[in-house]
Amino acid sequence: MNISALTGIVTMVFGLIYTWMAYSMPRASIGKPMDHIIFPLILGIGMIFCGLLLFFVEGRKVMEGGEKREAGAGLARDTKLIIFTCVMAVLYGIFFERLGYVLSTTIFIGSLLFVLNGKKKWKTNVIVAVLFSLIVYIGFSRLLSIPLPMMPILQI
Amino acid sequence: MGSIMSYLLLGLKVACQPINIMWVTVGGILGTIIGMLPGLGPATGVAVLIPMTYAMGPVGALITMCGVYYGAMFGGSRSSILINTPGDGAAIAATFDGYPMAMQGRAESALAISGIASFIGGMISTVLIIFLASPVANFALRFGPAEYCLLMVAALAMTATMAKGNVIRAFISLIFGLMISTVGLDSQTGIPRFTFGFLELLSGIDFLTVIIAIYALGEVFKCFKGIEEGTKKMQTKFGKIWITKEEWKRCWRPILRSTPLGFLIGALPGCGGTMASLLAYNNEKQFSKNPENFGKGEIIGLAAPEAANNASSVGALIPMLTMGIPGSGTTAVMMGALLMLGLQPGPLLFQRNPDIVWGLIASMILGNFILAVINIPLAGVLVRVLAIPPKILYPIILGLAFIGTYAISNMVSDFYILVIFGIIGYFMQKADIPTAPLILAAIVGNSMEVYFRQALILSNGSLRIFTKSTICIVLLISTVFFIALPIFRDTNLFKGKTKKAAA
Repeated sequence: MNISALTGIVTMVFGLIYTWMAYSMPRASIGKPMDHIIFPLILGIGMIFCGLLLFFVEGRKVMEGGEKREAGAGLARDTKLIIFTCVMAVLYGIFFERLGYVLSTTIFIGSLLFVLNGKKKWKTNVIVAVLFSLIVYIGFSRLLSIPLPMMPILQI
Repeated sequence: MGSIMSYLLLGLKVACQPINIMWVTVGGILGTIIGMLPGLGPATGVAVLIPMTYAMGPVGALITMCGVYYGAMFGGSRSSILINTPGDGAAIAATFDGYPMAMQGRAESALAISGIASFIGGMISTVLIIFLASPVANFALRFGPAEYCLLMVAALAMTATMAKGNVIRAFISLIFGLMISTVGLDSQTGIPRFTFGFLELLSGIDFLTVIIAIYALGEVFKCFKGIEEGTKKMQTKFGKIWITKEEWKRCWRPILRSTPLGFLIGALPGCGGTMASLLAYNNEKQFSKNPENFGKGEIIGLAAPEAANNASSVGALIPMLTMGIPGSGTTAVMMGALLMLGLQPGPLLFQRNPDIVWGLIASMILGNFILAVINIPLAGVLVRVLAIPPKILYPIILGLAFIGTYAISNMVSDFYILVIFGIIGYFMQKADIPTAPLILAAIVGNSMEVYFRQALILSNGSLRIFTKSTICIVLLISTVFFIALPIFRDTNLFKGKTKKAAA
């Protein structure tokens, strides 16, 4: 089973779920009851159809030269980086308003820089992270008047 | 004719006042910078400047806002070319060929042609707006909801069939984008759709967030692979930022073709730079003798959308000024600002405050020159962004992406949406599903559905409204044509292959 087949199946399943969710939405009390459901239904059915097409047109081809899995234990380096970034981003979002813009951004960017640049260049990492956060903060909140969450104790 | 010239002279007198020249320059520079940053598009730029405009007076305010709008159109393509991250929707098409050009070491030509094409597109459109304001507004009036809906369907079909890779995958991407646009509170029935009980999703998923997630985050994720090996070529020294004669010879006709196209699309309410640039790109690809070069660094593929999107930003001002209907998201914000200043856009604006309207038009002429100067010779300054080592640049891009999103919506929940769509974008790349149809669909999906339902209400549920007017029929035939085209293409190829195999 090659990647097209997998994509086709995922698409079909997604389409099915979407269509089912669309159909089980509450009916409208104003206007026609199915009004807001028609468009999603069309989309869902279209998605299922596309998934089927993809599966039958491409999915059955024999894969020539399979994808070589990395012969190492565990995930590839870049996948780990991506997961790390996503986790940090979620944490960034959680602490954003509590820690204020400057602190949370410094931590976010700093952590990424440390992972990418290495611990040896910690001076560069810290400087870039702090400078970036400060410049953006001052630029946005003073020059452009866009409010950003302030630091918790100091209330700058 | 005589009255137009006298109005224009009046306008030029207003525009040439030193303070207004200053406003256009300031607005232009700010707009270029804002346009360059991923996620901060012209709409945000204009919205952000509104408080500053109180002190300027109506003419100054309008001129500055137009400068920002314009500058963002010029600037948005910079980051598309250099780091494959569009500054806004209208700059997406610039990534198709602009980035490959930079990768091939032709960044100077790319930057130059995008500035030149933008300048020409903008200048011609400004001349057009002088003469065509009224007739174009009249044509746009003939578009009812059914026509709008079909126009969007045709544009989407065109994008899907022209997208890289398999047509089926493009349609999957397209439908997914439309699905994204259905999330949120339904405006006509008040029923929340696909919100899973999250309050934050009631206002829907902003397409700008989707763009930033898929492009900025997606690009960074993609680059993580090469970052350890350090093999990514970064151009640090730049030659003269200009183009060769042969490149100009290839480009001038597509530029002249794309400008009126962009202008018309921009003039249609609801359709803005994004659709104009994508349609111009697809159009030129069709006209070209070597369509397979598109997407690999074909300079026409950069020049055409750039001319079109500047043309559309001028065109979008027409319905806003003549009818009080915004032609795009940014003009909607501008209109809000005008109303706040006590000016009522519409036909009366032309009669009561001709100095304001014509001053604006005249300042666009000036602004074009000023921005061309900023963008072409000074592009070398801007291009220093690439000199920053990638390991430092990418966290900064991520930081900018997040702040850009926050600046638009002020909701932390958008951070999570960024992450989710960044991951989705990554998987889409792995599965070879093109992302451009998704973006376009997410942008127009809402309007398309609203027009669809309005059309059905007008016709009392009958689908025949979609075949009534000439415009509708033309659009329907185009849509079918675009969907059928790849099928013929592929079956011909298939036949060719079997013949070769048999031989």
